[in-house]
Amino acid sequence: MKKRSAAVAVFAAAALVLSGCSAAQSESGDHKITFMGWGSDTEIAVFEDMIAQYEDKFPEVTVEYITVPAADFQTKLQTMIASNNTPDVFYLAPENVMPFADSGIIADLSAYVDDNELFEADNVWAKALDMYRYDGTTPGVGASYGLPKDIGPFALAYNKDLFDAAGITAPDPEDPWTWDEFIAAAKTLTTGSGDAKVYGSAPFSLESAVWSNGADWLNADHTEVTVTDPAFVEALQWVADLSLVEGVVPTSEEESSLPSFQRFMEGKTAMMGVGPWNQGGFWADASFAWDLMPWPVSPATNERAIWYGGIGFAVSDKSDDKEDASNLAAFLAFNEDAQRTNMEQGQAIPNLIDMTQDEYLTSDKLPANKQEFIRIIEDYGRRATQTYTYNSEWFGLFNSNLASVWTGEQTADEYTASVTEEMQGMLDEGIAEQAK
Amino acid sequence: MTTAGRVRIRRVQDMQRRERMWGLLFVTPIGLQVLLFCIVPIGIAIVAGFTNWNVIRGTYDFIGLDNFVEFLTDKYFWIAAGNTIYMLIPIPFYLFFGILFALGSHRGTPGNKVFRILYFLPYISSIVAVVVMWKWLFNYQYGLVNQGLAAIGIQGPDWLGDPAWIKTTIVIMIVWKMIGITSIYVLASLNNIPDVYYEAARLDGAGPVRMFFRITLPMLSPAIFFLTIVGIIGSLQTFVEVQLFTSDGGRNYSAATITYYIWQKAFVSNELGLAFATACFFALAILGVTLIQFRLSRRWVYEGE
Repeated sequence: MKKRSAAVAVFAAAALVLSGCSAAQSESGDHKITFMGWGSDTEIAVFEDMIAQYEDKFPEVTVEYITVPAADFQTKLQTMIASNNTPDVFYLAPENVMPFADSGIIADLSAYVDDNELFEADNVWAKALDMYRYDGTTPGVGASYGLPKDIGPFALAYNKDLFDAAGITAPDPEDPWTWDEFIAAAKTLTTGSGDAKVYGSAPFSLESAVWSNGADWLNADHTEVTVTDPAFVEALQWVADLSLVEGVVPTSEEESSLPSFQRFMEGKTAMMGVGPWNQGGFWADASFAWDLMPWPVSPATNERAIWYGGIGFAVSDKSDDKEDASNLAAFLAFNEDAQRTNMEQGQAIPNLIDMTQDEYLTSDKLPANKQEFIRIIEDYGRRATQTYTYNSEWFGLFNSNLASVWTGEQTADEYTASVTEEMQGMLDEGIAEQAK
Repeated sequence: MTTAGRVRIRRVQDMQRRERMWGLLFVTPIGLQVLLFCIVPIGIAIVAGFTNWNVIRGTYDFIGLDNFVEFLTDKYFWIAAGNTIYMLIPIPFYLFFGILFALGSHRGTPGNKVFRILYFLPYISSIVAVVVMWKWLFNYQYGLVNQGLAAIGIQGPDWLGDPAWIKTTIVIMIVWKMIGITSIYVLASLNNIPDVYYEAARLDGAGPVRMFFRITLPMLSPAIFFLTIVGIIGSLQTFVEVQLFTSDGGRNYSAATITYYIWQKAFVSNELGLAFATACFFALAILGVTLIQFRLSRRWVYEGE
């Protein structure tokens, strides 16, 4: 009998050890918070440095920094949420704000944004903060559920040397080219063949074309798919025809063989959409002069349009140390040294408006027209349509065979007609999900 | 019965009990492992397959067979099922080349050890590194494959982008990757064939071709059977190649497999219940295929005397 109870004890001890793993952490006197993100090696090094600074400033807090490859991040995060092990601070994509807020996963930071010792909300780009707002029905307004890691305006860059050689002058920032002027210029810039081929432009931003043509993927309250709207179809076909008819853009096979970024770097593409994160690469490797210009406008509206993106920091609603976690998020988002480092490495535009004005815009590095990034942030930039919906599967479906339009297998008309019904079904599922 | 006899019986019983207890104690670690990492997860998966579990919200309701109806009526599931069956194509190819290579590097061949190491390299190389390399080889404009084809006047296809070719690319890569490990297994069983069979056959006047078909092949059949079973299961579970070669399973889902479908449902669309239901169904299907193979194997696998 004694022996049996010994065996039971061993068994029980083993079970205790197994279950005890997770409980052990919170017993230490220090506040311990976890932070999960992804990034390139340089970015991770910047973050490690920032975290060390944070720990100096708040000595009672220890931060555990978990890095995950970007592709695995969402999977890992969901697993951690499911096992009630959500990191205290983590990267938040704008499209996750609604489902995460509704499910009580991310904390409402509104009070913290209004009153804290680390930053002034007035000194942060309003659109960067708005990306993580949600009032329970509409994204972009209401309570704050995240602080911006950065805001990424997507601007049109051009190779100044190629422009000069072709005798083309870039348009004035306030007086953009029309689509026709853009095509005319791109035709002049497209030269050579084979390995020496130079294209006038990289594939044109579909968002810019669609929005500038007065269309969108969804209607204004994001409940109906509107890709069969003639203005949408026209814009999609226009983008496809830049390659198929005009021949001023690489074909989709060429694009997959050698992405435009590399073509542009090699001086084989004259215009390409870029974000602030591309600046560092250009500073290091571009052997030509370059600058930014406004996005060409459709005759339908004469309005410039393009997207801006970004990633934020969220705080777990279940965090034991919300104050410390919020401080860490704010520190990572707005710490001046880190913002300056990112700016100097050409990774991002500072989140802080005064630093952007005093240090970024006055720097003598390229592009000369840095203001174009700012115009997009403050004036004509938009959030991507799919960040307004509960899930973006409808958008994934739209993209799944878009290449058949780029290759000319289907016209824009045929393609949009073939996907609209299924897209609507997926959008409806998302709407039903939100209503739950 | 005498008292002494009773005591002896008692002792024997005590001994047996003690032994049983210690035995139980020794199997506890592995038992726990099986329980925690096999039985419990499988149980959860089966139960969750009948719910609409949403991980993010942490809510679930039992919804009966709805999940099964949903994926069985989902056209993407059937596209994925078709692609999964397509992934069986590599098996006969790598079995054929694996046997050929094994015969080539068997015993007498000079430098056979070098060959064995070379064969094995693809199998132990990191799949990510391999795919990155293959993406360059099969690059439409700058890849070695298309440049080689261009040299003999053929315009190569867009191996990675064209929905009609992406699966072929994956199949070729799997064949290349699996030949090595296949030939190692075959080589091991080749070395186990006793020479006496060949000596006897030679005395009876059999030629090399006849000896191959009458002795070598039958003696290799257990290894081939094993490789077929493992190969079919492996092929049906193709996932990493799809994820690394394509984004979102390829244009029009052209390369997505069932495992990819399950992963997508679980971690992209957040429909964990649906993913579990599909996984359970798929597990049963694989089990069924494997049982059929065992049944058929009686006809062609040499089990020894």
